[in-house]
Amino acid sequence: MALLLRTHYELARTSIKRNRGRSFLTCLGISIGVASIILILSLMGSISSLISSQVAQIGSDLVVVRPSTTKTAVSRVVDELTSSSMYLKSNLTLKDVATIEKLDNIASVAPLAVSVNSLSGDDDTFLPSVPVVGTNPDFIKIQNLTLKSGTFLKDDAPTATAVIGAKLANDLYGTGEPVGKTLTLLGERFIIVGVLTEVDDPINFNNLDLDSSLFVSASALNKIDNSLQIQQINIRTENTNDLEKTVKTIRETLIASKNGDTNFSVLSGDDITHPAGTLFSVISSILSVVAGISLIVGGIGIMNIMLVSVAERTHEIGIRKAVGASTGNIFLQFLFEALILSLSGGFLGLILGYGLAFLLCLITPFNPFVSWQILAITFSTALLTGLIFGLFPAIKAAKKNPIYSLKFWG
Amino acid sequence: MSEETETIIKLENLTKRFGYGDAASYALKDFDLTVKRGEFIMIMGPSGCGKTTLLNLIGLLDSATSGVYRLNDEPVSRISARRQARLRAKKIGFIFQNFNLIPDLPIIENVALPLVYSGYHKTRRLIRASEILDRFNLKEKEYYFPSQLSGGQQQRAAIARAIVARPEIILADEPTGNLDSHSSALVMSELSRIHSEGNTIIMVTHNPSLTSYATRVIHMLDGSIDTDIKTVADSDLPVPVEKKNRRRPKNKKKSNRKKKTKK
Repeated sequence: MALLLRTHYELARTSIKRNRGRSFLTCLGISIGVASIILILSLMGSISSLISSQVAQIGSDLVVVRPSTTKTAVSRVVDELTSSSMYLKSNLTLKDVATIEKLDNIASVAPLAVSVNSLSGDDDTFLPSVPVVGTNPDFIKIQNLTLKSGTFLKDDAPTATAVIGAKLANDLYGTGEPVGKTLTLLGERFIIVGVLTEVDDPINFNNLDLDSSLFVSASALNKIDNSLQIQQINIRTENTNDLEKTVKTIRETLIASKNGDTNFSVLSGDDITHPAGTLFSVISSILSVVAGISLIVGGIGIMNIMLVSVAERTHEIGIRKAVGASTGNIFLQFLFEALILSLSGGFLGLILGYGLAFLLCLITPFNPFVSWQILAITFSTALLTGLIFGLFPAIKAAKKNPIYSLKFWG
Repeated sequence: MSEETETIIKLENLTKRFGYGDAASYALKDFDLTVKRGEFIMIMGPSGCGKTTLLNLIGLLDSATSGVYRLNDEPVSRISARRQARLRAKKIGFIFQNFNLIPDLPIIENVALPLVYSGYHKTRRLIRASEILDRFNLKEKEYYFPSQLSGGQQQRAAIARAIVARPEIILADEPTGNLDSHSSALVMSELSRIHSEGNTIIMVTHNPSLTSYATRVIHMLDGSIDTDIKTVADSDLPVPVEKKNRRRPKNKKKSNRKKKTKK
């Protein structure tokens, strides 16, 4: 059996070699499909692992409260993709922050009230859309952030103060040391009291690029922006042993204080990354389907070329049958050809996909995500494509009548 | 029956019909034929009399509409398609008028083709093909492609392919039809040599001058045998080399072939 399969492999390889150019172009169709899948899976895997590792770095004592609806995960993701309704629907308030602060086992609590506003600096530099985060002094502790210079927000600050992200500081003032300078936000003047050290992780569980954000006191922001909503409350607990109990307590207390309103989620551990994870998995699924379509097109290319090959080699099939090839031999010969084409395409696609992923990573903060699952998906997809689209031409070749085939001169 | 005159092919009332109803035509009708091992049969007759159909049926490329075909005493209707293919690879060798070599394969691989389906490893089949090509004085051209050879050389390569798996029966469909007289003579002398080694050859031809090589000449007409002339007695038919070596007494003459006479 092994000898027979090897012989079929040799025969298939020989006939592919005879039409190198055509075989390469056929492989290319599959390669593009496989490369697209690799690229998508690699980047999505990279994003997911990035967020997970950030949560792991921040610590297991982190609890997050987010507004939520009773909608299913997918429809929520669609909402997130199509509008900013998540922000508008938030039912979290500064009162909730105060309520949580009073509970046992709570080390620090920070609200995250994000709005996108225009800013102007001292020298009339104008930035049209900057994420402005209304929070409190605990935020820096919860996020494990450090200051490049100055101090963070303080409760007892005499004037309106702001802390600026490293990248935003450069964009607004052209310098990394803008402490003492002022900016205008919604007609209100703020003084810069600190600059955050660059963290360079634009993708995180806060859905916020910290390096490009401005941080002001939530209460100060609330005074100048009436439509402000709290999108998230970050909590750090004192003791991780009672985390489950603490999560339960927070939930029950908030429900009680909000008169039975349950439209919020109290999350800990991996659950914190789930909304982002679900979002990315839905996006990756949609993109994979699109890539799958290109793979089907590649498969049809294989079938087309194989059918042409069968037609061209009808006489050869007749000769082979006359000298002893069985229907099964001819079937396997042509099926092997299709499989070799699709697997070669898969291999080429693997190199192409990871090549593109590495190139993309040079200009984005992601690292290509390599896993055996992705490799398995790639090869099984290529194999399946070859099998499905090679089957019909192989059956057609195998069923050829030897006498008719011997008379046929393509 | 002695082993020398063992029946290898037996056709009984074999009929091959093409089409149905009013459009039906018979290529063979109630055809009876018994072929002994070692015979060299020439089949002659006008075009359309069923010669090629007969070869296709004997070569297991086609199946009869009715009747019985026994190959080595076994009815072929009971042999599976897969085993029939194996028999074609191991027991039957085909030679065609238009050579039927695969143009994209070098001569050596064309010759080795039946061995592919007989379960030979690549190295073994190439060695065997090379040996056979050497016998046909084509060794120096074994890596040439068919288009680089003359018609005579291509046909010799096709004969080499037909005998590479040491078949019992060689079926030749007008093997000299596309050749000049010189190449025809070369091809016929090769076939004669193969026959003298005890192989059974059934050859279709339109050339009456070639009948001198045969031990039996059959004329066909409208799907039936018109005349059947044996020129050599069954007992004088050549015996396969391996059997001859095993059984021949020390003082027995190598060949006892009689002068050809019409039956």
